[in-house]
Amino acid sequence: MTTKRFRFVATMVITLIFLLAWVFPIVWSVLNSLKTDQDVLAYPPKLIFQPTLEAYRDVLFGSGSILPNLISSFVISIGTTVITMLMAVPAAYALARLRFRGKKFAGFYVLATQMLPPVGIIIPYFLILRNIGWIDTYQGIILIYLSFSLPFAIWLLVSYFEDIPFEMEEAAYLDGASRMRTLWRIIIPQVRGGIAVTIVFVFLNAWNEFLFAVVLSGNTVRPVTVAMFNFVSVEQTLWAKLAAVSVLAMLPVVILGIIAQKNIVKGLTVGAVKGGGRR
Amino acid sequence: MKPATATAGIATGTAASDLGRVLAQRERRFAAALLAPAFMALLATTTFPLLFLIGTSAFRMDLAMPFADGFVGLENYRTLLTDDRFWSSLLVSLVYTGATVVLQVALGLALALLVMDMKRGQGWFRVVAILPVVLSPAVVGMIWRTFMLAPEFGIVDYLAINAGLGSKNWLGDPLLAMISVIVIHTWQWTPFAFMVLLASLASLPEDIYEAARLDRASAWQRFRRITLPLLRPAIVMVVIMRTMVALTAFAAIFTVTGGGPGTATEILNLYAYRKSFTELSIGYGSALAVALLIVTLLISGVLFALRRAK
Amino acid sequence: MTGRGQVRFEDIVKMHGEFSALKGVSFDIEPGEFFALLGPSGSGKSTTLRILAGLDAPTSGRVFIDGRDITATDARDRDIAMVFQSYALYPHMSVYENIAFPLEMAKLPVAEIDVAVKDAARKVKIEHLLDRKPGQLSGGQQQRCALARAIVRKARLFLLDEPLSNLDAKLRMETRAELKKLQRSLGVTAVYVTHDQEEAMTLADRMAVFMAGEIQQVGRPAEIFAKPNSIDVAAFIGSPPMNLLAALFADGDVLIAGHRLKTALQAAGERDVVVGIRPGALRIAPDGLKARVELIEDLGDTKVLDLDCAGTAMRIRVGDESVPPEGAVISITARAQDIHLFDPTTRRRL
Repeated sequence: MTTKRFRFVATMVITLIFLLAWVFPIVWSVLNSLKTDQDVLAYPPKLIFQPTLEAYRDVLFGSGSILPNLISSFVISIGTTVITMLMAVPAAYALARLRFRGKKFAGFYVLATQMLPPVGIIIPYFLILRNIGWIDTYQGIILIYLSFSLPFAIWLLVSYFEDIPFEMEEAAYLDGASRMRTLWRIIIPQVRGGIAVTIVFVFLNAWNEFLFAVVLSGNTVRPVTVAMFNFVSVEQTLWAKLAAVSVLAMLPVVILGIIAQKNIVKGLTVGAVKGGGRR
Repeated sequence: MKPATATAGIATGTAASDLGRVLAQRERRFAAALLAPAFMALLATTTFPLLFLIGTSAFRMDLAMPFADGFVGLENYRTLLTDDRFWSSLLVSLVYTGATVVLQVALGLALALLVMDMKRGQGWFRVVAILPVVLSPAVVGMIWRTFMLAPEFGIVDYLAINAGLGSKNWLGDPLLAMISVIVIHTWQWTPFAFMVLLASLASLPEDIYEAARLDRASAWQRFRRITLPLLRPAIVMVVIMRTMVALTAFAAIFTVTGGGPGTATEILNLYAYRKSFTELSIGYGSALAVALLIVTLLISGVLFALRRAK
Repeated sequence: MTGRGQVRFEDIVKMHGEFSALKGVSFDIEPGEFFALLGPSGSGKSTTLRILAGLDAPTSGRVFIDGRDITATDARDRDIAMVFQSYALYPHMSVYENIAFPLEMAKLPVAEIDVAVKDAARKVKIEHLLDRKPGQLSGGQQQRCALARAIVRKARLFLLDEPLSNLDAKLRMETRAELKKLQRSLGVTAVYVTHDQEEAMTLADRMAVFMAGEIQQVGRPAEIFAKPNSIDVAAFIGSPPMNLLAALFADGDVLIAGHRLKTALQAAGERDVVVGIRPGALRIAPDGLKARVELIEDLGDTKVLDLDCAGTAMRIRVGDESVPPEGAVISITARAQDIHLFDPTTRRRL
């Protein structure tokens, strides 16, 4: 069975190359973040070196610390997540379970809003926020983040609400529970898992956003994805520090991604499956 | 119906449908109350900006020269039609989108098929595939621009030198820069296609393959005649989703080349941004954004038609 | 508490758009009765139950409970408890919390709730499971939990929507008997939806047979079995189903495949009829209808023979004693009172 053996080896080699290709840029950044500036610039590139946390100390506590930017990122992401969930959970429940005229249209509208190119939203928003003095404020950024986090969260949650049998509401109704109480006591506890997954993805998307952040941030509010540009300039690039900042910016989302591992396909394809089916 | 009960029927008809109406009305009100906050927010953050954008596109609005501002009607759109930079950015958009989507789907599908039958190590793939996908495109762009592609420092350049190709200015040469941004986008999002297609492959019923094997279909025939048709919905879905994202990619290019060198990697999205926020011509930038919306709608219309066709 | 739980349906019509799910349904249920709504799926029996519960509103007609018109009354004010086919247990609550939920909604004091919950759990024998979550229970235990949640409120009406259909055959038989005992001991009126005629026959005091949105027959199970008033009811009730064959009626006899059988109907003249004979009522006897044995189905204590009688398929149920081999030609007959006659056009009993 030499052909079988050859096929096995070929498969292994190809898959290993891909695994390496995907891991390498990330691992390389981590390694560089643990080097001194000399080690980073060494030629040929050094794989074995004396690791140091100097770069992290510098970017976190040195002059031009990115600590405020990390805080900005967290405030924006958590704020967006909280507000999004407060609005999306009730809306998704209504879209998934209640009967009312215009329901199809409402569902389609939520989906259609995602067709708008972000650049088309940020131009008018920039003008409006500039007039009311909301540039470089948390409320300005969080408000516009709703434009993408809400449709996403609504559609992801709808898929979880739809999994609950209709008898749940009917049983609770006959048991004498009001609609609001049914939602709160009977339905929401059953979609806790789905809500957790949605929270992870909304946070992740908010953390990773760049275009809106670049336009709307300033000296007070500047998330880390924007702030990392300070370490790259025409004159010089602060390699080790840049690597450390990159790693810090990656850390929360990688942790969340691994936590949500099993649900990642569902989270990434939300709306597409459903949306197409509803047309 | 007997005449004696006919009148009773009418009378009870009202009582009966009353309950139905009350229930339906209660449900409608509850739904309205639950939907109101989200829909107000969506109206304010998507629909209203869209109308505002269309409005702005009919003005000359220059933040650098506010004295010249004023209503110009369709002037911006007329300019756009004869703007070489617009047409070239549209071309760059189409090349970038087409290349990245085709590469992602082809590589993702090939890998999914390879990994599908792997007994061990599939778990590793699943974990590793998550990494690029959850990262911010801005961070990804930054890492590639520096640690991977920087001349005489990045690993790619190091490999190129050792392979005898010599050091290249990966992001300074128009063609190489275009290839680079396509590779970066493909690197980040192939795992997405891979994961979706792998999940879809795993959900295909095993017995179909056993039946096909009994029918003596070769591996290639099984792929062409069974796997591919069954996978088609998933593939089309990936194509649609990735096309929408690639058309409006921003951070992935902005952080790497900024659209350069010159306008070599300036997709329409980036052109609209640069015009509005770098050159501060908000009016013309708005017209470009509207053009991008129209292009997006046209392409998605074609893709959805493709999806519906069988 | 006599007179509690009396139900009256008056000309109930339910339209789903153009489709009429119920076409004018009327019946009465006496207090304390175990009443079954029997019919194939889509016949309107579940819709009837949902209208009684208040989950759906009828398009027209009236519903009374204990003499009061409750057609427009909210479900929560009807004092009705229901067991769902899927049980609809709240998966995130313990068995105790599930049973307590309706009382909690009624704002009963905690001490009272505790007594009532434990009492209900004892009645269905799940008092040792109160701390479990529904997911940790077997199908039978889940079903009991659903029962407990329904009886805990001591409602005047107890609705059951195919409560046994998710249990395996053996458990279903056991639960059936217990359900009947429970209902008797509580003295509550029970309305029971099922598509399983055997279940309805064994459980119900009276039952209504539904077909295509209409009630075909209401009565005690034995009555309906003995005197089905239409071809459809005759075909639906009894297992194996009644043999139905076209025949010619002539002066009190029927002619089947050239053979004459006496009937209980005394009428002169000739007409086309549909003859119904239950497999158990057919007997092997000389000088009867000639039929060939096609297949023998062995049910253990009895056997069912598939027969070919001049091109018409028939079935006969026989005991162990006299089983002819497959392929044999036998002669069968039936007593006059076991022969049901139906009109082929109106499908009603003659």
